[in-house]
Amino acid sequence: MPSLKDIRSRIASTKNTQKITSAMKLVSAAKLRKAQHNIVALRPYAQSILTLIADISSTQKVDHPLLLQNHSEPKNVLLVVISSDRGLCGAFNSNVSKDSWKYYQEFSQKCENLDIIFIGKKAEEYFKRRGVEGVDSIHNMAKDISYQMAEEISERVIKEFTEGQYDEIRFIFNEFISAISINSVTERLLPVDIEDKCSFDQQEDTAARFPRDLAFEPAAEEILDDLLQKHFAVQVYRCLSESVAAEHGSRMTSMENATKNAGEMINGLTLTYNKLRQAAITKEIIEITSGAEAL
Amino acid sequence: MFNLKLVTPNKTIVHDVPADEVFVPAHRGELNILPGHMPLVTTLTPGILKYRLEGQDELKKVAISWGYCEVNPFGVTVLADTAEAKEEIDKARCEQAMKTAQDMLSKDELSTEELEMYQRKLKRAEVRLELVD
Repeated sequence: MPSLKDIRSRIASTKNTQKITSAMKLVSAAKLRKAQHNIVALRPYAQSILTLIADISSTQKVDHPLLLQNHSEPKNVLLVVISSDRGLCGAFNSNVSKDSWKYYQEFSQKCENLDIIFIGKKAEEYFKRRGVEGVDSIHNMAKDISYQMAEEISERVIKEFTEGQYDEIRFIFNEFISAISINSVTERLLPVDIEDKCSFDQQEDTAARFPRDLAFEPAAEEILDDLLQKHFAVQVYRCLSESVAAEHGSRMTSMENATKNAGEMINGLTLTYNKLRQAAITKEIIEITSGAEAL
Repeated sequence: MFNLKLVTPNKTIVHDVPADEVFVPAHRGELNILPGHMPLVTTLTPGILKYRLEGQDELKKVAISWGYCEVNPFGVTVLADTAEAKEEIDKARCEQAMKTAQDMLSKDELSTEELEMYQRKLKRAEVRLELVD
């Protein structure tokens, strides 16, 4: 049986924890709003740029190393796993770690070479515990992700891709659906698949109406090259933004639950405390009265 | 009339809105696009993009930096890196940016990349100020 003092200190410490979790919830909620706004604003741009690429390459029959040419099985794959630097965000990190681990086990035999870049600490730690090291890792994205950062990552990855080090780049990250629902997804970002992405339907007769003789300023190859690099950078940025929004959403929900649980715990403890207190008072009164009777 | 789409990574300014006319600062000078313009893909330079929505007299203006423009029979799509309306531009900040860029450009020991970067900055500041005034 715990003493009254024990229970009092447990109530006090639970209250402190509750204060922290509710503050974290508020912070995440504010960050989530910003991150959510970012994604929603980015989506139309990302879509338009892909449509433009598809239009150009399908009408002009221009080939580019970054475009998907044949559907053969990839041999050298680079996996980019996006997790977070910090914990306390529910199933966010374990989701993406488990999925990438599954993917890793399945494909490390099939492919000749499977390298991993970790963005965020948590997935890296998960893989390290299982004895797998990545080729590189990027931390400190907790503060704020910027388009510039996405550009740096994409430039580097594109360079390794065009040098022939890899023939497929895959991203695994948490996709943001809503504050309470996130989903871990695997997306192939390179080579770029442009099937069904044109602004017209290739099978239908609208394709005939679409002009094959677009005028280009400067040359089509040049524009396509720029566009594809831009497209990849935007996609990397989108993946990062999705992941950040999912992280905040997930943290917000788990902190809300923690605050609620702490409240329930405080209620339970207070009840026990009062019961104990009353029992102690009753005991004392009995002692006093029986003492008085004995006199 | 054609459908105009003007998007940047940060926001969508117009999305498939019928427009009568659009002026874009293209690679080789300003282009005036009217309905039925020949299909075209071009890069854009820093400049002022003007558009008139269907049935309106007012010519709306936004300052854009680098971007792309596609004209096809279905409409005009402009993908800009940034696009700001007059109200969003901070004049004092632009003047400051312009001055810094000019100062840097007057120095001799600039690498080619730095030179290009400051020239771009100067151009962007000039365009913004042009729109404000």
